[in-house]
Amino acid sequence: MARVGVYVCHCGSNIAGVVNVEKVAQYAKSLPDVVTSKHYTYMCSESGQQLIQDDIKAHKLDRIVIATCSPRMHEETFRRVVAEGGLNPYLTEIVNLREHVSWAHMHEPEKATEKAKALVRMGVARARILEPLEKRKVRAEKSVLVVGGGIAGIQASLDLANAGFEVYLVEKAPSIGGRMAQLDKTFPTLDCSMCILAPKMIDCGHHPNVHLLTYSEVKAVKGFVGNFRVTVLKKPRYVDEKKCNGCLICTEKCPAEAQNEFDEYMGVRKAIYMPFMQAVPRVAVIDKETCLECGLCERVCPSKAVNREQEQEEIELDVGAIILATGFDVFDPSVVSEYGYKRFKNIVTAMELERLVSAFGPTGGNLIRPSDGKIPKSLAFIQCVGSRDKRFHEHCCRVGCMATLKQAILAREKIHGNIKIYVCYIDLRAFGKGYEEFYRRARDMDIDFVAGIPSEIHSASDDSLYFDVYDKGTNRLLEVHADLVVLGTELVPASDTQRISALLHASRSADGFLLEAHPKLRPLESVMAGVFLAGACQGPKDIPDTVAQAGGAAAKAIDLLSSGEIELEPLKAVVDTDLCSGCRICESICPFVAIEMKPEIVNGEEKPRAEVIEAVCQGCGLCSAACPTGAVKIQQYNNRQVLTQVEAALVETCAEGGR
Amino acid sequence: MAKPNLESRDKILSKLSGRELVNCFQCIKCTSGCTALKLLELKPHEIIKLVNLGFVDELPSSDIIWTCVTCLKCVQRCPQKASPYHVIMALRNFAVEREAKVPEGYLKIVSQILETGLAESPQKIVTKNMETIDRECLKLPKIKHPKESFQAFFMKAMEER
Amino acid sequence: MKVAVFWGCCIQANQYAYEMSLRETLPKFDIELVDLQESICCGDPVKSVNEFAANFLAARVLALANLTGLDSLLVPCNRCHFTISENQNIMKKNPKTAQKIIDLLKEEGLRYNPNIKIWHTIDLMHDLIGLGKVKKAVKQPLKGLRVATHVGCQIIRYSDLGRVDDAESPQKLDELIRALGGEAVDYAEKLDCCGAALMRSHPDSALSLAGSKLKAVQNLSVGGMVVSCPDCQLMFDAKQKDAGTTVGAKLHVPVVYYTQLLGLALGIDEKKLGLHLNQSPTEEILAEISS
Repeated sequence: MARVGVYVCHCGSNIAGVVNVEKVAQYAKSLPDVVTSKHYTYMCSESGQQLIQDDIKAHKLDRIVIATCSPRMHEETFRRVVAEGGLNPYLTEIVNLREHVSWAHMHEPEKATEKAKALVRMGVARARILEPLEKRKVRAEKSVLVVGGGIAGIQASLDLANAGFEVYLVEKAPSIGGRMAQLDKTFPTLDCSMCILAPKMIDCGHHPNVHLLTYSEVKAVKGFVGNFRVTVLKKPRYVDEKKCNGCLICTEKCPAEAQNEFDEYMGVRKAIYMPFMQAVPRVAVIDKETCLECGLCERVCPSKAVNREQEQEEIELDVGAIILATGFDVFDPSVVSEYGYKRFKNIVTAMELERLVSAFGPTGGNLIRPSDGKIPKSLAFIQCVGSRDKRFHEHCCRVGCMATLKQAILAREKIHGNIKIYVCYIDLRAFGKGYEEFYRRARDMDIDFVAGIPSEIHSASDDSLYFDVYDKGTNRLLEVHADLVVLGTELVPASDTQRISALLHASRSADGFLLEAHPKLRPLESVMAGVFLAGACQGPKDIPDTVAQAGGAAAKAIDLLSSGEIELEPLKAVVDTDLCSGCRICESICPFVAIEMKPEIVNGEEKPRAEVIEAVCQGCGLCSAACPTGAVKIQQYNNRQVLTQVEAALVETCAEGGR
Repeated sequence: MAKPNLESRDKILSKLSGRELVNCFQCIKCTSGCTALKLLELKPHEIIKLVNLGFVDELPSSDIIWTCVTCLKCVQRCPQKASPYHVIMALRNFAVEREAKVPEGYLKIVSQILETGLAESPQKIVTKNMETIDRECLKLPKIKHPKESFQAFFMKAMEER
Repeated sequence: MKVAVFWGCCIQANQYAYEMSLRETLPKFDIELVDLQESICCGDPVKSVNEFAANFLAARVLALANLTGLDSLLVPCNRCHFTISENQNIMKKNPKTAQKIIDLLKEEGLRYNPNIKIWHTIDLMHDLIGLGKVKKAVKQPLKGLRVATHVGCQIIRYSDLGRVDDAESPQKLDELIRALGGEAVDYAEKLDCCGAALMRSHPDSALSLAGSKLKAVQNLSVGGMVVSCPDCQLMFDAKQKDAGTTVGAKLHVPVVYYTQLLGLALGIDEKKLGLHLNQSPTEEILAEISS
């Protein structure tokens, strides 16, 4: 026999304004096993909480039903109150009279009150057969894997390292730095990108708590939050990291050339190369596909660092959390064929232009035309190439407008003589701090902003380009001639995002970027426990937002792991192995990979039996619903506990207690 | 000041197979590349915007909807698949329904099809060398006109809105 | 192989050379053309008046094709090809319209067949017959004759429907020219429209569009212009003089159908290919390839 206390909250006028809370409390009193039933203005207030705790003692209550707002608001609070009142916190049942009643049926107070009574009846029925449960603690590794060594990964790593955590920073390129290293200046401050990035890169390289694994990729992830086992594949550089001192003699002598990926394939590098001047680690790497195997680098290296027999390494890491910071790629606009990218010589992407104006780029920072090396006398930027486009990608790249404004301003400053600069746009988005002022600065510089984009681009015999574009403002068709055209290209998820997403069960959103747990309130967590998101891998964004998100993700990981333990909610699946037939349906249906089959000796034979990995289980109930023998149950949501509510729901509400 | 007529707008929307026309965000790409812009001032973006805002009633009686060359560039390149060409065709149909100004060439063709099945009858050609040639002397097969029932069914189809 | 053929209106009304050259050349590739039992309009000009009736006509063409028992239909006119292709898509995506049309056809004793593959001259030659077979069949190669190709608009757009060639960089006709021993040049105005659709309502503008393109081609100093649509041929060939007057230029561009060039390369007599019907100076092409 249970002793149930029912508390009906007014929630100010939120509930009481529609529902007759007095009548509901009175009705509840008439239900079986209800020992006390009260109504109060704000149950979540101190006095409301005190009321419950006093009643637990006074009436020897062993079940509490609180009819109030959504459990998402205060369930945790009330559980704590009940626990402090001396009862197991999981003997609390919340009935939602606000979102489910008063807010949904604002104009029907009588019917709303009847519904409230029915819901309370259901809550009491369930409360009677709730079971006491305990949270469990598992040990957590105080180390974090950061996947991706761009500014997001670098920032997160530094924050974690400074907080005393071991950080394994895995980067697939031979140097950390990512996209920010490729930029010349950053908007809106026009800071030199490498100048503000390099100190952080160096800190990362030197920090005792940061273990750099460059030219490496994550190959496998096993385990669960607090206890991940990660396999990292370290590709062979064919150069000994401990011996190479970055003197570059090898690159000077190497006879083989390849297109330089860091310069967006616009310049050349050697087969043995330093990714860029400011690379961290400052160690050369050999691209075996281009390498002629002449052995010259090995002979000239003063440190004997070249090791052409170097093999790949598999490294196993135990970490408590993972931060994904895998970044973005630039969309290839060749598929937007009407714009002639790759067909015509002097059409470049925004990232290619960054390398052209960069002091350590293929032209030493001279803004020249790829076809003949001449300085352009006219420049045209075309926005949204591949973005906001149902034919390619629907999402806005977020930074294209600001990037173009920056490049237009830089072009105006770099090139003497009053060259013509056009920016053809659909909408111009300058949303951030200092961004609108930056836009005004661009408008101050005789840049022609055309409200409209062209339909096609043509090339003249001298490799200059021309196109028609209709301008909304003047209602005129403009004939634009440009020596150089820059396409403001879309940003897409980095090429290995799909692979990483599959490895970690970190879902992606429709646009292909990694999915956050909640778009508004949980932007730093993926849907997998213990996996966090930082930077453009979650959606294209600028450097300030990336750095902020990276710091946030680091903080989340610190929060998760700082106690060295993870506390697990008990509302999970449990398997009664006596009933389990080993059919594996639950294993295959679990979206979180939270069920494993473990062998058990049954009558002398080894049979597989399902076992729930508590730390990963989210209590969604799919396994329980699918289990043909009823072996899998969700704690606090077993068949009886659910069906008793259904029975209570189907009884007519009458004046004396629902039978 | 013309007032918007959302009923007319909905009529046009119901003629289109999709609702993408309302997704137009005025990028102006269609007009920038419109074959009929320079010669006839056709601005597909403007037509879409007028329809979206409900200023439909002035369009069926204007000449502008008959200037489209049907090159389909706007359908090919629109980033929102708003397809101005299909909207213009719907407006033309609307003009016919409302008995507004329709270039007589089109209506002539409909009667021609009704009578003979084809939009035009075989012609005699005068060559560069001043010879007059027709299908028969070229030994091309005779045109097989449609059976009698065709007329009635074509007319039935014409009554459908 | 037997292929049904739908000629449409202008080929049968005045663009005889296209029909003649197709009937002469396709048999050399073992293609037997089977005419439909009725000649009707595909519905293209009716679209502006009543789109449903236009769709009815297009579906009726497919119903007529169904009577031949063949699963391939050659549609040599660009506009007919687009109209029928779009109709196939509408019948698939719009069940209400489709049912009304199917019912009307049923009443007349006709059956709509959605599984007929529609071909145009260009993809029939390039994809079905193949460049290899075309090359092999050439008896009198074109001796490097330089031409500007004009594939037109409605067989390359809009890509979502699945068209005959790429919308921004159509290469098939160029490759078919090369297979004959000719040369196809690239030029900025390649995708410009001939303007035919405006002849009914705005003839001056139509001629202006045709004239501008012809002027551009003339400036390329090529041996001629090659088309594959009767409307385009009408504008560039039959109306060349008028087009010239409209844009204030003396135009002197030989304009031929691909199938006429094909026929010449196969060694077929020019009269059989209807070359005497072209109004533009085609004798210059003949002179160049025979020299």
